[in-house]
Amino acid sequence: MKKMTYSNPVGVGKFTGLLLISPFILGFLLFTLSPFVCSFILGLTDSDGISAPVFNGGENYIRMLTDSGLHKAIGVTFRYTALLVPLKMLVSLAVALLLNMELKAMSFYRTAFYIPSILGANLSVVIMWQYLFTSGGLVDQLLGTVGASHVSWYGEPFHAMMIIVLLRLWEFGSTMVIFLAALRDIPRELYDAAKTDGCGRVRAFFHITLPMLKNVIFINLVLQTISAIQEFNAPYMITGGGPMKETYTLGMLIYDEMFRFNDAGYANAVSWVMFVLIAVVVALLYKLTGRMREGTK
Amino acid sequence: MKKIIPYLLLTMAAVVMIYPVLWLIGASFKSNDEIFSSIWFMPEHIELSVYKNAWETVTPYTMGHYFLNTFTIIIPKTVFAVLSSVLVAYGFARFDFPMKRFFTALLLGSMFMPAIVTILPQYLMWNKLELINTYVPLTLPSLFACEGTFVFILIQFFKGIPKEFDEAAKIDGCGTFGTLFYILVPCIRPAIVSIAVFTFLWTMNDFLTPLIMIHSVEKYPLSLALRLSVDSTGQGYEQRTIIAMSVIGLIPSIAVFSLAQKKFIGGITMGGLTG
Amino acid sequence: MKKLFSFITAFSCAAVLSSCGSKNKSEITKPDGKLDPCTLRFSWWGGDDRHEATLEAIELWESKHPDIKIVPEYGGWDGWTEKVTAQIGSAAEPDILQINYDWLITMSSDGKGFYDIGTLDGLDLSGFDEEVLSFGKVGGIMNAVPVSLSGRGLFYNSDVFSSVGAEYPSTWDELSDLGSVFGDKDLYPIDLDIQSGGTAWYFAVVYIQQKTGREFITMDGQLGFTEDDIRDALVFYKDLEDEHVIRTLKTRTDEDGNAALYQSSEFIDGKIAGVLEWGSAVGKYESVLLQGVLEAGPFLSDGKGNNGGWMIKPSLLYAISKNTDHPDEAAAFMDFLLNNEECAEILGTTRGVPASSYAEESLEKNGKLTGPAQDSNEMLDKLDTVTISPYMELSRMKEFYNTAIEAVSYNTADPSEAAHEMYESIVRYLEKIRK
Repeated sequence: MKKMTYSNPVGVGKFTGLLLISPFILGFLLFTLSPFVCSFILGLTDSDGISAPVFNGGENYIRMLTDSGLHKAIGVTFRYTALLVPLKMLVSLAVALLLNMELKAMSFYRTAFYIPSILGANLSVVIMWQYLFTSGGLVDQLLGTVGASHVSWYGEPFHAMMIIVLLRLWEFGSTMVIFLAALRDIPRELYDAAKTDGCGRVRAFFHITLPMLKNVIFINLVLQTISAIQEFNAPYMITGGGPMKETYTLGMLIYDEMFRFNDAGYANAVSWVMFVLIAVVVALLYKLTGRMREGTK
Repeated sequence: MKKIIPYLLLTMAAVVMIYPVLWLIGASFKSNDEIFSSIWFMPEHIELSVYKNAWETVTPYTMGHYFLNTFTIIIPKTVFAVLSSVLVAYGFARFDFPMKRFFTALLLGSMFMPAIVTILPQYLMWNKLELINTYVPLTLPSLFACEGTFVFILIQFFKGIPKEFDEAAKIDGCGTFGTLFYILVPCIRPAIVSIAVFTFLWTMNDFLTPLIMIHSVEKYPLSLALRLSVDSTGQGYEQRTIIAMSVIGLIPSIAVFSLAQKKFIGGITMGGLTG
Repeated sequence: MKKLFSFITAFSCAAVLSSCGSKNKSEITKPDGKLDPCTLRFSWWGGDDRHEATLEAIELWESKHPDIKIVPEYGGWDGWTEKVTAQIGSAAEPDILQINYDWLITMSSDGKGFYDIGTLDGLDLSGFDEEVLSFGKVGGIMNAVPVSLSGRGLFYNSDVFSSVGAEYPSTWDELSDLGSVFGDKDLYPIDLDIQSGGTAWYFAVVYIQQKTGREFITMDGQLGFTEDDIRDALVFYKDLEDEHVIRTLKTRTDEDGNAALYQSSEFIDGKIAGVLEWGSAVGKYESVLLQGVLEAGPFLSDGKGNNGGWMIKPSLLYAISKNTDHPDEAAAFMDFLLNNEECAEILGTTRGVPASSYAEESLEKNGKLTGPAQDSNEMLDKLDTVTISPYMELSRMKEFYNTAIEAVSYNTADPSEAAHEMYESIVRYLEKIRK
């Protein structure tokens, strides 16, 4: 058997690391593994969550091949993710840079910009979105003043997706906070040195800030992608999945199958498909950003 | 003049961000028809009694009681989450050990599954252990770094600290834990505080887990108490009391974030290698 | 190392699987005719008014029966089904529960999901019609007792109708005619939706049931409509849109987003002058309009004396857990909730107009039965109504209805195609879940 070499600091055995992550291992065994296994097995059964599950082989998975509703939901989810994630990354980073400056009352602005994240899909937000985007709402009125014609938001498939993307985009707070935390770690001396070298603000951004943020950009990218693919709450509250299921995401389908249609077997099977989809996308992201990021696992 | 422009833009943006909260506060004084027909936040009359009713609730307990419940859950949970996430992230970020790749895959994998899938099996397990209707299912998992997201974030932050720091600590005679506590943790304090804040906020808003795990109204956390009165199948109700309740419920979240970010997030640091 | 891990995995699999299924007590506790001191758990969902009233009723009970304590569990409707499903799936449900009509199918499809109330003497059912009691039976076994009945009726904004100069319609044709009358002023006489309300399909079903005399879904889960009936129902719906009686789905979504009608400024401002709603839930519409504006309208007939096809269902029921240790005491408490005069007065109409004649009399004596909900109820009483099958209320069935209506409204399919698809889906699904 090949001898493993471990690159640990001097004086540290190969089991110290294991000790440190032991809470996670225990927790995984106790709280994560069983539900995952349970879920996998349920995915191979006919189950309604109340009576005992009955094995049905791969019937649930076969059903997925012809379930056009599922295919549509997957398409919707990917469109949504592709729209939201890049925009959110850009906006969070831009605002974080802005709020990192030493202007007065920055802490007030930071709190204000984080508030949408605290609200989430609160009733007030749902109603706000209605005021803005329904016929005769604020956006319509604004369009009217500049002479543009009425735009249908809720009733038009792609537009309905846009207003949901807007909702989540508006909640860029958490992503922004992580960027802010990372920005704080960039030593000021680097910027001062750059200044004396005659480096402009833009160059400083690309040569100092971005490289130092590589890891954080990667985490935010991965985390936002995962939560976008799992999205359920925003379309549920704002459009109910409509019109014509054009904002009906995979997360909503799983929820409906599990809790409204009482088909726990199918819901679990689809969840595993979501699991695999996310794993593939994250692996892709990992590969694509490989050159960009520093270091390996 | 040039100096004012950023402030102007920022203030306009800030108003857009906070408008729903302003609207919520205004709505707590509005009658049902007012709420659904006007976007302007100022109400027609202001009657403070709605807040008194909201505080007292129709249940035998006041919102104060529910706040206490929520804090009983949140404080241990936050402490547990921070402690275990930091330890585990440290292990992954700085150490090499058998099956490291395997465990990293497990960590990532645990984040990919939608939460609703695991909630019922967990319910069955807790039910078997007769710990339903206690706060154990809501707090204990945090002791075991169950939030892959947090561990993952901290790992990346740890990786951002140059290894020279560790070596310098070793030279100064620090052991494994010493390095962690005296050198690494202070460097990533903003990230750790962010994680604590996220735990706080997400737990405050978490509705499904307590709904499934808690039966007695006496033990309801705030998130459940806020939904107590929302019944779309019934004869309807005065929205404003519920809105007043959610306004009251927002206060801790906003306060916590406000305090935390003032001290730990944002602003340019003076660097780490010197001093 | 790896061996240890796989062993632990196998172990937790086994442990989990054994609990993944149902966990039932092997024996049902038989009634012993005595009322022993105990503590009973009682759960319900509702809003503030219902919570307040029920808590007061519980206090009244405990003053009369100090050694039978009731521990209340309650919350809003959101998520309540999930919660009770989880409880039932692990035999941890309360002793007495308020249940929704379709839970009879999802939680007791074989009739044995709840305690057989027929075996309990402590519950006086003389105040109920035999027919009403049958709504709580599954496979002949009495699983639950209906608390109140409710049916959808038409309610109108009297102000708008008088300003337009129109009368409330009493036939389908009269309703169609209103389309152009209201349309001229850019108003709509009523509104239908496909969201959780699902009034669009409901209305179409009533029309066809009246026309053909066939029931859409029978109580034992058979599809009563032919494919042509379904097509005719969809055509009926499309005609309503075309005649400006209701908004098209696109217009509705555009104007209201995802909101219910009582949250829509169109309704509040009077652009939409009527709604099809459950009598037990119409208070929401009353509260956003001014006092006295919302009035109950007649149940539409064909103008030749046929006014059948209108539907009712139990709006909610009480059931007893089959895992309870105290069936007699639970029965006694249920009897109190349903029949006791003082209790009825306290509960009022927070759960609709009581089905128990004792409770209803009590409310009448106290003058609590007024308002459009009551008016609608009285009209409904006089009709030959169809009972909504619990199968019709299942969520997945509602998806079939809504998909068809959407297709027809957005013109992505013609009524025959949509009807064919709905027919196939329903037949297949009903076959699968009928036990």
